[in-house]
Amino acid sequence: MIDSLYLAWRYIVFNRVKTITLVLCISLVSFLPFALKILLKESEQQLMSRATTTPLLVGAKGNALDLVMNSLYFSKEKPDFISMKAIEKIVDSYLALPIPLYTRFQAREYPIVGTSIDYFEFRQHSLAKGRTFAMLGECVIGADVATRLNLGVGDSILSSPENLFDLAGVYPLKMTITGVLNKTNSVDDKAVFVDLKTTWVIQGLGHGHQDVKTMSGPGAVLSRSEKLVTASAKIKQYAEINLDNLESFHFHGDSSIYPLTAIIAVPQDQKSATILRGRYLSEQKNQQIVRPKQVIEDLLSNIFQIKAFIDAVVLIVAIAMVLAIFLVFSLSFRLRQKEISTILHLGCSRFTVVQLIVAEILIIVLFSSALCYSALLVLQYFQGEIVHQLFIS
Amino acid sequence: MKRSNTYLARKAFLFSSLFLALSHVNAAEQSALDIYTVNYPLKFFAESIAGEHAKVTLPMPNDIDPAFWSPKAEDIAGLQQADMILLNGANYAKWLPKVSLPLFKLVNTSSEFRDAYIPLSEGVTHNHGAGGKHAHTGTAFTTWLDFSLAEKQAKAVFKALSRKNPKLNADFVQNFIPLQAALLAMDSELTEISAALQGQPLIGSHPVYQYLKNRYQLNLQSVHWEPEEAPSAEQWDGLKKILETHPAKWMVWEGQPVAETVAALEALGLKSIVFNPVANAPETGDFLTIMQENISALKAVSSTQ
Amino acid sequence: MLHKVGDTCLINIDSLELSYGSDGFRLSIPQLKINNTEKVAIIGPSGSGKTSLLKLISGIILPQKGEISIAGVTVNQLSDAERRDYRITNIGFIFQDFELLDYLSVQDNILHPFRITQALKIDSQVRSRAQELAEELGIANKMRRLTDTLSQGEKQRTAICRAMMTSPKLILADEATGNLDPSNKTKILDTLFRTTDKNKATLIAVTHDHELLERFDRVIDFKQYCELEAV
Repeated sequence: MIDSLYLAWRYIVFNRVKTITLVLCISLVSFLPFALKILLKESEQQLMSRATTTPLLVGAKGNALDLVMNSLYFSKEKPDFISMKAIEKIVDSYLALPIPLYTRFQAREYPIVGTSIDYFEFRQHSLAKGRTFAMLGECVIGADVATRLNLGVGDSILSSPENLFDLAGVYPLKMTITGVLNKTNSVDDKAVFVDLKTTWVIQGLGHGHQDVKTMSGPGAVLSRSEKLVTASAKIKQYAEINLDNLESFHFHGDSSIYPLTAIIAVPQDQKSATILRGRYLSEQKNQQIVRPKQVIEDLLSNIFQIKAFIDAVVLIVAIAMVLAIFLVFSLSFRLRQKEISTILHLGCSRFTVVQLIVAEILIIVLFSSALCYSALLVLQYFQGEIVHQLFIS
Repeated sequence: MKRSNTYLARKAFLFSSLFLALSHVNAAEQSALDIYTVNYPLKFFAESIAGEHAKVTLPMPNDIDPAFWSPKAEDIAGLQQADMILLNGANYAKWLPKVSLPLFKLVNTSSEFRDAYIPLSEGVTHNHGAGGKHAHTGTAFTTWLDFSLAEKQAKAVFKALSRKNPKLNADFVQNFIPLQAALLAMDSELTEISAALQGQPLIGSHPVYQYLKNRYQLNLQSVHWEPEEAPSAEQWDGLKKILETHPAKWMVWEGQPVAETVAALEALGLKSIVFNPVANAPETGDFLTIMQENISALKAVSSTQ
Repeated sequence: MLHKVGDTCLINIDSLELSYGSDGFRLSIPQLKINNTEKVAIIGPSGSGKTSLLKLISGIILPQKGEISIAGVTVNQLSDAERRDYRITNIGFIFQDFELLDYLSVQDNILHPFRITQALKIDSQVRSRAQELAEELGIANKMRRLTDTLSQGEKQRTAICRAMMTSPKLILADEATGNLDPSNKTKILDTLFRTTDKNKATLIAVTHDHELLERFDRVIDFKQYCELEAV
């Protein structure tokens, strides 16, 4: 068998183009169904783990899937906003504890999640370094954000404008990093967490500026009376919140109408959950309450239906590929008839001829298996990232 | 022999009493809630109701107005670790929008009577850019000076404690009832005083008596003076202008004013009384004793009617 | 004759009959003897059965009737496996088209018979013999090269090395010079004869090159088979 393998190896090396093509074809056909299975399993795990641990989600009426995907996985699809009144409603009901979410903004390619510090306890996250945010303008970053941007406690990160031309609206805020989370193997690794009020500052609902009562200078104050000071646009608004200017930061208007993207509602018990859901179903016209687990289960059942279809397609392709490979080997065998005839004349047995062919097939299959296995290992290593990029973001 | 037996019995009794007392203290310490409040009235209510079952902290220094406290990050860390944070509501704690506290632990003691908040229209308005006019004013926040609202706030504290630790509900009820009675009694008393005042004009030294004025129908207008500072000439002019249309005979101070100011006021025909809102912890006395003093001072005014 | 032909009969064909093909080809050899160390050329028109004779002698095909014995071994009575083993260890083949494997080096082609049968094993002695043969035939410096880079003469010399690896007593050459130019034909035949003499082997060569016939000990014309030269 060794000699047969040696001869087969020499033949394969000599015909490397054909060999590589065969190996790639077999590898690809083998890789596809396993890769699909791995990715689907990972996506199911990622989606379900977050959904299962999130009892209820309140948001604007509309697409429940968008609400869940944005709130749990910080996807780019932004649901409509609700207001802080929704928080008050939940608090006053004594049926659940609310965790607000406002995920409108980004810091580079990472989502800024405006929330309360309860979020970390709820998700059972711990800090690798530093402390959680305590003041306006402070933030806690996920492990991957820290690694990829090489940031740590004491560094800063800038929020990104919503679009290039939104010059008078959302403006970049320099946020101080007070803590870095331990690796969670979830989307939280790639997020920047701030207090909800900090996102309102980013939006422009709150700001800090020079004291209008005492400020002076040419063009700075347009008019002044005992009761009213009108300042010009020259007034310096702070793009960073620190101990020196924290006092100057303030919010305008009624905070009960300030926006949120969603609220995670943590009910006291099952009965409270049922009552709370009932209230939203019967009373709320412009808000909805969803069970993320249910929404994701529905999504997964759709995915698995598609998967069954894809499996069938892959199977057909695989059969076609096998037939094509069989054809290639048959034609190759025919082309080598003279060679086979010669070695039979020399004294080779038919069994040895079969052994030679089997050896070739074996080597090609081994290479394909190795390539397929390596690709699957690489896929498994990056499966979390791939699933997040492909299916969740 | 007899003396020895008595001696041993007394020792045994002392020892067991001490043991029981220590056990009780230890048990209390072990399960004591860590509560933070934003002002002294709420601290008093929480201590009164929770008793040994809670350790109540007012985190700001004694010599500042708690509403305008500027906490540091280390102060916030303590608050974040608390089991419960009692808020006054009505935008009382101006520092609240600048810090991050766990929502789960916040209790807004005035959430039930949000409709009763009194909006303010005083203060300097400013505008800049395209945002329009806006004022750093908002809502009056000394809600506890309306004792019917104070009772509601105390009840809110009681309910929060009961929800947090239902097993101790009996203790909380036992403690809440006398507090509730005291607050309602003060409310009744002030209602009577208000009737006796018959709309007598009063001046408030500082705009902190909105709820007192509103509940007890006081004919009160406020200036913006500090008890420990002598007013400026401008401030005197402002007062005189008010007195032209509001001929008050009494000025109600939030703290003991300096003697010179008292004398100057008397020259204008104004006497001074102290109605201490006791937003921060007093050096002596407690909430109830100080409020009783406040009521007595106002009663004295009504008796001169 | 350039050498003394042995007196011992190596190959004895007796009453051999072979027929095959749809056109009813028949080969009938009543008697044929070939002696040790004899160099025999077989000529005849295409389709006269020359290559078939080589296949019969080597045991690749079996006659319908008759006997073929080589050194006393009746080849056509051996089993398939025995005939294969006998063939690969005792007979050296040289083909018209060289029949080298283009994906193997010269060395691997020479050693090829040792890799396709359990009857032969490669060891250091075998490798040394391959090297010696290659040096003898002037292709030692090409051992690592693939055969498609060789000239026609070099290819045939590689084929001769392969045939001689087992020191066979019988060498069967089927149109060994057929694809060579005239200068190479002579050189290859010289090489073949020299190697055959050195190994004291018998050579049976099917050829169309009449100008080379005089170098053989005997010429057998398949067309006039009944008129065999006296042995």
